[in-house]
Amino acid sequence: MLMKVTLRTDVLTNNNKAADYNRELFTTTKTLVINLMSSPGAGKTTLLEETVSVLSRKYRIAVIEGDLATEKDADRIRKAGAKAVQINTHGGCHLDARMIAAVLPEFDLEEVDVLFIENVGNLVCPSGYDLGQMHKVAVLSVPEGNDKIPKYPVMFMRTELVLLNKIDLLPYLDFNVEKAKRDLEGINLSSKLIPVSAKSKEGLLDWFNWIEEAYKTCQQ
Amino acid sequence: MHEMALMGEVIDIIKEDAASKRIIKIDMVELLVGEISNAMPDALKMAFEVYKEQNAYFFEKNARIFIQIEKALAECILCSKSYVPDNNRISFCPVCGLPSGKIISGESFQILSYEGSGDADESNVAHRCADQ
Ligand SMILES: Nc1nc2c(ncn2[C@@H]2O[C@H](COP(=O)(O)OP(=O)(O)OP(=O)(O)O)[C@@H](O)[C@H]2O)c(=O)[nH]1
Ligand SMILES: [Mg+2]
Ligand SMILES: [Zn+2]
Repeated sequence: MLMKVTLRTDVLTNNNKAADYNRELFTTTKTLVINLMSSPGAGKTTLLEETVSVLSRKYRIAVIEGDLATEKDADRIRKAGAKAVQINTHGGCHLDARMIAAVLPEFDLEEVDVLFIENVGNLVCPSGYDLGQMHKVAVLSVPEGNDKIPKYPVMFMRTELVLLNKIDLLPYLDFNVEKAKRDLEGINLSSKLIPVSAKSKEGLLDWFNWIEEAYKTCQQ
Repeated sequence: MHEMALMGEVIDIIKEDAASKRIIKIDMVELLVGEISNAMPDALKMAFEVYKEQNAYFFEKNARIFIQIEKALAECILCSKSYVPDNNRISFCPVCGLPSGKIISGESFQILSYEGSGDADESNVAHRCADQ
């Protein structure tokens, strides 16, 4: 006999449950958790290396590295001086909350002040998956061009900060920072944009101050 | 392609729910996909066909998928007018000309319903068990 079942269930309901579980852990241990997302090569790992090497003096930092197949990014973070755990997604284009939950036992969150999650390089898929983080940050880099914000609105709708990286290349490339700000405002009125260069280190202080503010809020 | 992963979630949820209702074969799945949900209906349909083949025991040969589209809609926090957002300027209210709009619809991604059939011999099985 044929039977129709009405569900009205969110497709990502299982992910969202795992994200709530993670969030609960992060909140009770007062760990500031930041989910970093970008296209491949925008500079997530380089920014994290710089962040770890400077902020390690002040905070106990840990990093979860999402990668399609290798351990390379986690090695770079370890060299910079933080504990790093690699999640290989075996070709999967994003991290999900269950993958994060599965590696959390490898950390003593009571002993971690700031946990960064470097998502798989991709401007589409990671935006849909709540990992239980407190903040979602997008990295956009100058060589990618001005069209990325209007082209991937959902990513920029769902992030609260854009780190515009590689501004040391602005003199050589056709990128308009003011236009990027306007485009971002058009998609998400509450998102900020901080121009930085992981190479020349310009702007990194603004990023560190942002982390500092987020950390204070998270301790309340 | 992340529609494969998304459709995998759909299949898992339906399998679990169907098991609890003793439904063993599915012949229809109905989704609601928001215009700004980041899921592409055509890619979802293709992914459905792939899973259907891989899970032939669970799907009728001619099982169908229906996708309802949820339109994108935004509302201005200043003038309270709702408007159809332009992809690149989602937050710009066409009346006020300011980035004062918030998305109120179009981000959903849900399984609305599914249809399937139970084990036709279920009552017989029950009898046989009772006999023993
Ligand atoms: N000129 C310049 N190059 C940079 C900057 N930041 C990173 N790069 C370079 O960009 C390349 C990619 O940087 P990564 O940090 O590996 O980028 P990623 O986002 O982690 O890449 P995936 O993990 O593969 O997605 C490297 O060659 C970096 O040296 C910058 O501020 N300026
Ligand atoms: Mg990297
Ligand atoms: Zn208005």
